[in-house]
Amino acid sequence: MTAVLETPPTVVPSPPAARRARRQNRLAWIGRHSIAIALAVMFLTPVVYLVLISLMTSDQALTSDYWPNSWHPENYVRVFEVTPLPRYLLNTMLYALTATALMLLSSVPAAYALAKLRFRGRNLLFLVIICVMMLPPQVVTVPLYLMWARNGLTGSLWPLVIPTLFGDAFAIFLLRQFLLTIPQEYLDAAKVDGCGEWRTLIRVVLPMARPGIAAAGLFQFFYCWNDYYGPLLYTSENEQAWTLSLGLASFHSVHHVDWNLVIAATVLTMAPIIVVFFFAQRAFVQGVTLTGVKG
Amino acid sequence: MNTRIPRALFALGTAGVLTVGCTPAAQETKIAEPGAEVSGTVELWHFFTEREAAAIDTVVKEFETTHPKVKVTIKSGQDDSKVTQAIGAGNGPDIGLSYSTDIVGKFCSSGAWVDLTPYLTRDKVDLSGLNPTTRQYTEYGGKRCAMPFLADAYGMFYNKELFAKAGIAGPPKTLDELAAAAKKLTVRNPDGSLKRVGFLPLFDFYENAPSHLAPAVGATWLTADGKSAIGADPAWKTLLTWQKSLVDWYGYENLQKFRAGLGDEFSADNAFQKGQVAINVDAEYRLAFLADQAPELSYGVAPLPTTDPARYGGGYVTGNIVGISKNAKNPEAAWALIKYLTTDDNTIVKLANALRNLPTTTAATADPALKVDPAFKTFLDIFANPNSSTTPPSQSGPAYQETFQTFLTGWQAGKVSDLDAGLAEADKQVNSVMTLGG
Amino acid sequence: MSAQPLAIRIRRHATTLSFLAPALIGIVVFFGYPLVSAVYFSFTKFDLLSTPQWVGLANYRRMADDPFLLQSVRNTLWMVAVFVPVRIVSAIGLAVLLTQLKRGAGFFRTIFFLPSLAPPVAATIAFVYLLKPGTGPVNTALAHLGIDGPLWFSSPEWAKPSLVLLGLWGIGDLMVIFLAGVLGVPTSLYEAAALDGANAWHRFRYVTLPTIRPVILFAAVTGVIYTLQYFDQAAVAGSIASGQATTGGGISQSFGFPEGSTFTYPLWLYTVGFRYHALGYANALAVALFAVAFAVTVILLRRAKAFSGEETS
Repeated sequence: MTAVLETPPTVVPSPPAARRARRQNRLAWIGRHSIAIALAVMFLTPVVYLVLISLMTSDQALTSDYWPNSWHPENYVRVFEVTPLPRYLLNTMLYALTATALMLLSSVPAAYALAKLRFRGRNLLFLVIICVMMLPPQVVTVPLYLMWARNGLTGSLWPLVIPTLFGDAFAIFLLRQFLLTIPQEYLDAAKVDGCGEWRTLIRVVLPMARPGIAAAGLFQFFYCWNDYYGPLLYTSENEQAWTLSLGLASFHSVHHVDWNLVIAATVLTMAPIIVVFFFAQRAFVQGVTLTGVKG
Repeated sequence: MNTRIPRALFALGTAGVLTVGCTPAAQETKIAEPGAEVSGTVELWHFFTEREAAAIDTVVKEFETTHPKVKVTIKSGQDDSKVTQAIGAGNGPDIGLSYSTDIVGKFCSSGAWVDLTPYLTRDKVDLSGLNPTTRQYTEYGGKRCAMPFLADAYGMFYNKELFAKAGIAGPPKTLDELAAAAKKLTVRNPDGSLKRVGFLPLFDFYENAPSHLAPAVGATWLTADGKSAIGADPAWKTLLTWQKSLVDWYGYENLQKFRAGLGDEFSADNAFQKGQVAINVDAEYRLAFLADQAPELSYGVAPLPTTDPARYGGGYVTGNIVGISKNAKNPEAAWALIKYLTTDDNTIVKLANALRNLPTTTAATADPALKVDPAFKTFLDIFANPNSSTTPPSQSGPAYQETFQTFLTGWQAGKVSDLDAGLAEADKQVNSVMTLGG
Repeated sequence: MSAQPLAIRIRRHATTLSFLAPALIGIVVFFGYPLVSAVYFSFTKFDLLSTPQWVGLANYRRMADDPFLLQSVRNTLWMVAVFVPVRIVSAIGLAVLLTQLKRGAGFFRTIFFLPSLAPPVAATIAFVYLLKPGTGPVNTALAHLGIDGPLWFSSPEWAKPSLVLLGLWGIGDLMVIFLAGVLGVPTSLYEAAALDGANAWHRFRYVTLPTIRPVILFAAVTGVIYTLQYFDQAAVAGSIASGQATTGGGISQSFGFPEGSTFTYPLWLYTVGFRYHALGYANALAVALFAVAFAVTVILLRRAKAFSGEETS
């Protein structure tokens, strides 16, 4: 876990009050760290607790015990026996990876055009993209559903994957904000060397924009991974196409007695996300930051 | 998955052009000559999962051996919404099997399921062999677009051991007796909270839906012209006043708290199975759960208590229904399978034995191969009782019941001060929601 | 620029278009078309099974006396009024706390951030379990302290606060945004304030807060938009807490449990559309939602400089 954090602003006390201030500072230091530790415990307890529950017997999981009487790691094996979890996992990965790849393919050029090319209607287009980004998906749900249903694509994840071929408003927004930070001089230099816009994008901009692209990609990936509404809408009739979230929600309705299994499945659903996070923490935090405070 | 790509591209091509909803035109039902052999594939969607789905598979296998030219593909775990959406999108399954009689109104009136009368006439199927209530909930507006596939009858389960302890001789037969027994059977903790409840009267508890309790007072839902009859029917007021006074006896808060600690209905922790609730309204399928999950429990079953002794013995009846989509690809083979599943007495007995549900034909009910014990017999009797009733089919499906249910949750929480005004308001809401669907 | 030869201009336009084509198609097909279509359907009666019938404004008039709509609007407004500010205040609090830590800031930040990545369905199931009224660990812990814990997801009064609690657990993403904002405050401002004798609260109130105002606005607007589409957690919490079985992961009758207290606007829209199949009315609800979301977006666009697209060149 590397800290990406810059040095916090420290306030230098004026000399006469230094000693008293130092003592006060020490107290404050202890106070702040105690609060932080208490909060960290609160954030972590649910996870630790869930892991413990997932290792109990199903009877004990219904009691108010905190600690397993006996350990049952085989609960995790059971989860695989009673659900097609690998299938859900595969679907979720396919969905998240394809959608991310296609989205980047279609959104990066658009973001580049919005950030660096001059054309009439650029601002208007950007406004439209912000509107699309802000639009609750429920607004267009019904007509889109009808469109996909008429073409026989409901019951699969295609209705969720295909649109990513045509750009994602949020990613375009995010990438544009990032590309704005690339100095124009680099692009001009490339043009002097005789590069067209596409070559400039691929040769010069892409390498420089890697952190932004990583962030946009991660967002899409996590969005798809966690998505419940989309798969519920389009795939609930076909169990073969279910994702983890959908499988988990319905796993509960079938196995709600076996809380130990339900919780084990929940832990299994959360685990991959956490692994990905530790590999991509830096890009992620940068990405989140980018969404909030540019300009 | 790959075969879908060309269709996906097609989808994109047409997406921009499509503006107006255009459901495929209903096909004229052209039916084959009598005696023609059926062939081809049939797609069957049903809602069952796990053990019950396996029972369906077995019976369908047998159908395939008797109809060697037909191949049946089954999709399990499909709810009504999915079937509706598939039919609306023009790719409905040949056969849909639903757990809810509430869709019949919509499916018949819109033609989403085809009228089965031509097939019935051609094959000379005698519908008088069907239980009358099941006949009622499978047609709408004079159109028979569904067939009943097993049935459920609702009655009362009571815990014999607790009854003996409380000194209650037998099952209560009137609502007043039920309330009295419920109070006697209830045990409180020293702090006043509930330890055991005689009868848990909340309308949103397990199977206590108003439709299941309506036969106790003989309450009606809809007028002949399809408007809400709730406000005008004094029977509802009787039921609601009775229920509220029992709720108040317990204390609404106490009941809520008690209920929050109970297990899920379809789990081994079902409150009746655990002895936490002494009397429970439930249907015959509970017998299979009891045998499986609580074999030690000593229980009895009886019809629902009533206000009028003349109505005693009846109860709420419902069941699964099955029909043919208007865009079925192979309606002839679909009908052959439906006929096999719903009119062949041997098959019905087999299914009833496997699922522990009620057989829908009189002949199957009398069949010696049907496994009948005294408890199951009680439900067969409720099923056959002329006082039994069901919820009327409506074009807007279950919306009217769900709307009333919402009113009831407010009512039992004490949020309705004037019952008459409240029921009038409920009428308005129901009528509004009735125009909504369809 | 206007002096360029025609051929070059055409080429330039063609290049620009090649960059934008996928996105333009996407906007038209997956935004423009469905939006127009939603408006059209909102004037019809359409049940998916028969052809749509033109009914004029009937669907909009129905909204006036739809008790469920009223309830769902109330719930959604409650969430907007409570959920959004609570999340923002807590996120700022956490961010400020992190900047004050001299040791382990990175560690704590990771801890606070991680839960925000948990899939909503998983997190909701976990919280319903943790907050189970009977034997759940939270109420057991409270009982040890002599407190009679509430019924959480099973009580109409506490169900929404429980959802807020769940939202606070996943506050990490918002916290990171504020963290960047707080760290972006120039140190010189703090030094100047310290010289004037400002205490920690004053420094926060008069230096930090004004500087991160744009971030707060951004968080408020996106928070409102997020709350308007709040679906997953409410849907899953209702069905699980009710203890009623649902088939095939499909639409649950137990949406809104208990007593409709978690019945949000999108849940009602979904129920009308995909359970009752009253698609005309569902589209009218969608159009109304669009109007509100659009208004909120316009506020954002007017207030936030960050979005004015022209500041580069």
